[in-house]
Amino acid sequence: MFSFLSKRFLQALLVLLGVSFATFIVGHLTGDPVELMARENATEQDKQDLRVYLGLDRPLEQQYFSFIVKAVQGDLGFSFVQQAKVSQLIAERLPATLQLAAAGFLLALAISIPLGIIIALNRGTIWDFLVTTLAMAGQAAPGFWIGLMLVVLFAVHLKVLPVSGYGGAAYIVLPAITLALQSSARLTRLVRASMLEVLSADYIRTAHSKGLRERVVLFVHAFRGAMIPVVTMAGLELAELVSGAFITETIFAWPGIGRLAVTAVSQRDFPVIQGVVLMSAAFFVLINFLVDVLYVVIDPRVKLK
Amino acid sequence: MIKGNWTRRLVLLAGLAMGVTALTPVYAQDAKPVVIASSEDIISLDPHMLDSNNPTGSAIWSIFDSLVRRDKDGQAQPRLATSWERVDDLTWRFHLREGVTFSNGEAFNAEAVKVNFARMDTAPFNSVQQLHDQTGLTAVNVVDDFTLDLVTAAPTVNMLYWLEEAFVAAPAYITDTAPDVVASAPIGSGPYKFVEWRRGDALVLTASDTYWGDAPAVKDIIFRAVPEMSSRLNELAAGTVDIVVGITPDAAAQANTDVSDVVQIEGLRKMHMGISIKGEQPALADPRVRQALNYAVDVPTIIDSLLGGSTKPLLSIVNPPNNNPDLTPYSYDPEKAKALMAEAGFADGFPLTIQWSTRFDGGKDVSEVVGSFLEAINIKPTYEAVEIGQFREALSSASLKGIYFQGWAALINPSVELVILTCGHVDNSSGYCNPDYDKLVIEASQTLDDAKRQELEYAAQAIIWNDAPWLYLWRLPNIFGISKTLSYEFRADNYLEPYLITYK
Amino acid sequence: MRRSATSVFLRRNALGLLGLTILVIVALAAIFAPWVAPYGPAKIDLMARLAPPAWIDGGSLKHLLGTDNLGRDILSRVIYGAQISLSVGAGAVVIGALIGSFIGLLSGYFGGIVDAALSFLVNVQLAFPFTLLAIFLLSTFGGGFTSVVVVVALATWVNYARVVRGQVMSVKNQEYVEAAKSVGVPTDRILRRYILPNAFSSIIVVASFSMAQAILTEAALSFLGVGIGSATPSWGTMLNDGRSYLQNAWWMTAMPGVATALTVLAGNLCGDWLQDRIDPRLRK
Repeated sequence: MFSFLSKRFLQALLVLLGVSFATFIVGHLTGDPVELMARENATEQDKQDLRVYLGLDRPLEQQYFSFIVKAVQGDLGFSFVQQAKVSQLIAERLPATLQLAAAGFLLALAISIPLGIIIALNRGTIWDFLVTTLAMAGQAAPGFWIGLMLVVLFAVHLKVLPVSGYGGAAYIVLPAITLALQSSARLTRLVRASMLEVLSADYIRTAHSKGLRERVVLFVHAFRGAMIPVVTMAGLELAELVSGAFITETIFAWPGIGRLAVTAVSQRDFPVIQGVVLMSAAFFVLINFLVDVLYVVIDPRVKLK
Repeated sequence: MIKGNWTRRLVLLAGLAMGVTALTPVYAQDAKPVVIASSEDIISLDPHMLDSNNPTGSAIWSIFDSLVRRDKDGQAQPRLATSWERVDDLTWRFHLREGVTFSNGEAFNAEAVKVNFARMDTAPFNSVQQLHDQTGLTAVNVVDDFTLDLVTAAPTVNMLYWLEEAFVAAPAYITDTAPDVVASAPIGSGPYKFVEWRRGDALVLTASDTYWGDAPAVKDIIFRAVPEMSSRLNELAAGTVDIVVGITPDAAAQANTDVSDVVQIEGLRKMHMGISIKGEQPALADPRVRQALNYAVDVPTIIDSLLGGSTKPLLSIVNPPNNNPDLTPYSYDPEKAKALMAEAGFADGFPLTIQWSTRFDGGKDVSEVVGSFLEAINIKPTYEAVEIGQFREALSSASLKGIYFQGWAALINPSVELVILTCGHVDNSSGYCNPDYDKLVIEASQTLDDAKRQELEYAAQAIIWNDAPWLYLWRLPNIFGISKTLSYEFRADNYLEPYLITYK
Repeated sequence: MRRSATSVFLRRNALGLLGLTILVIVALAAIFAPWVAPYGPAKIDLMARLAPPAWIDGGSLKHLLGTDNLGRDILSRVIYGAQISLSVGAGAVVIGALIGSFIGLLSGYFGGIVDAALSFLVNVQLAFPFTLLAIFLLSTFGGGFTSVVVVVALATWVNYARVVRGQVMSVKNQEYVEAAKSVGVPTDRILRRYILPNAFSSIIVVASFSMAQAILTEAALSFLGVGIGSATPSWGTMLNDGRSYLQNAWWMTAMPGVATALTVLAGNLCGDWLQDRIDPRLRK
């Protein structure tokens, strides 16, 4: 088990290195960043000064190496455009993003797990059909569109919730629902399928035949078994909520990482883009690692390997 | 059972939502901060990184002073300098205000200005600041504590204009403090001082108790970033925002509510379709073709429908009151346009790429409408959205493809407005080049006699108007929403000066 | 509680057929747009701006689904929009399938260091925040049809690579493959003749889901303003156009949104159906 996890950990580190390298290369493939950062009518001398100031006059491999060395120490560089440390910019925005992701994730779990189990137990009924269809529809509609329609309904017409912004609890409702809808549509279907599979599995039949009470079978055995694929999927969903909330954050003016990044792209603020990419990749890798750990905890079969 | 739990959760959440709305604190009218909502984030509070008017510029204007203040009509007014004169053709002398202190207690004097101007001329600030490049400033000489000489390489009529955006920060603070602190906790001598900045959300300022001028009527100011226009309008109607910047003409009426009014200002930015003379369509090199484009588009109709009549067609490439009064807008005359096209040998038209960026609202709409008018003179348009960073790059290298939606020079200064179309000028994105025009413009910018200069500028305007390197459109309308409890005269250049806001 | 096998079978087929029907209708609308659509997609009428759909006060039968801010007919734009959205989807599916299957094939067949290297590539791609990568690439290299298709394909190739790799690994040690090897059939021929055909059915299943995913991704990118900027709108572009008109012209956003949702739903229904019919093992 230890070797399994340490191997995974090493893999995760390698992937991060790969991501940082790819980001760096892409950032430098797109031409001279100084051309884009300096004002439109800056003189050659102004541009050269900036190049030296930013350390862009050094050889590429030196730039990459120093980026990595600093990144390991938690220094993600300095945003020239905003005159601020990238690590601080990210740290300032991270709480908002995590709040939203957590709210969206919990909401998605709160909807999908009970709903998935209920319709699995009532398979073939009209409810099963309705919920499944609804979930498919939810999966099909663009998330941002649902967000906009929610705004029209709740904020513009009913005026019960704020259109957008950041502040009290009321502000998080619409963006969290927007984020949660698609995840919960996917997860509901997954919970249903995985529950159905487990219910027909041998060990559940055995449990039944041993005369265990229905409820015990259901919650102790079936639930635990059914959660294994759900945990993986939920992990992916969470990682996506954190790194993929760009559109939701834009629609709802949520001051998180996503908006930081989108603004940085239009400002050609490379250090910030690089930092955000690395941060979300790290988050993705971390969550996947945690999922692996959880696996070992929940699934007895993994331990045997 | 589980379902019941979930319903309870929802009820709880909704209850929470209403609770928050109900709990919003109620301020007495005068104590209530004025909240200004703009679409964009404030980027940096370092005054020497300033490159956009609102909201970053408005915040900088509130916290810092420049030597000279630009009023809403574009005239220079005393600020940190109380008066100024030309000593000779190359030297400007400024008499500075005495008794001014920065909000951290540092004293203002000529040396402080020198330190700031030197900082503006070093990397990275010199890649953003234009004072030195545009005025040819070569030396800043401290005559005494409150007298300063600025020496330029050649005579310039533009010194005051560029000084208006050259802000002076506390000299020891900007020298000794880490750059990220300077840019996030600014120290200036202006009417407001910094309180708190939650990036991407809100900047809080309060009236400075050490300000040299009259205390502003509004004590607390909050700049908020609210990217969605509908959100800004909703908040205005709900009273949680007092001033809204950036409203599209179609939504203007929504700013008229029980608690707020809409204010429409004919802006200064001259919107046009730039015509890329060295682009992929060689026909555009022919002035007759460029004139034909101008005759082919019904600008007044577009203004009346798409822009709700909120602005007027351009009269010249120089803003009033300095425009040449003999020039009139091109009429809508498709027949004349076709005749000009035929005369130039393009009766059958040609393919034309129309580009726009996200820099200005409605760029896509305008491009598509203009394209549909051009189809009537046999031009076959294709459309292309260009990402803002790339668009800027293409502008500065004059490498746009055909025609492109752009706005220039939201200012009142004929010299600065004219110079951008001289040969090879970095802002000359259309690639237009006419030596006769250049001669007039350069001579004007070095002519210190007002009447003589005006004559040269009128002549230059006439040349450019007929050569038509632009498809002339209109002045960008600025639409604001403001709470009925406040009064403020909005500026056409989109800067906001919160210290001039008063309660009704 | 359980229905008979036949009824379950029928219901599944019904949903799949429903999806297929919708897809066919959308595809036909796209192909025959010039004959079906009442107006051209770029036909501007500044006098008829922001007209509501026919069934709402102020609407007229001239514009069934209303008009947009330039007075263009929304029904026509939705119909023409299908051309762009479907071709982006199809283009991305083809490119994604080619790249992904190729990588999966190599990875699964050769195993060892090749597999490790390619799996590393897959993991790096997965760890990248896709939306940010897409915005960044499109904003620096420019939008336009081809680049959007390529970027959208970037989002999907991993799915093919994984599925194909699994399939290949399960057949590569089968006797007939070993036999072919032993008589000296060249590797590329083995891959083409004996290995790849086994993965076809899975590729088709992944493709039908990817098509749906691609349409959604294109809509999201256009919504962020980095999509295709052509006169013929994609549904995503229309959604973006309507964004500042949410309050006074909700139909500008609602109509293309419904079109997108229906098409994606149809794609997913087909995918589910194919999966059940062809390749139940893929079911998670």
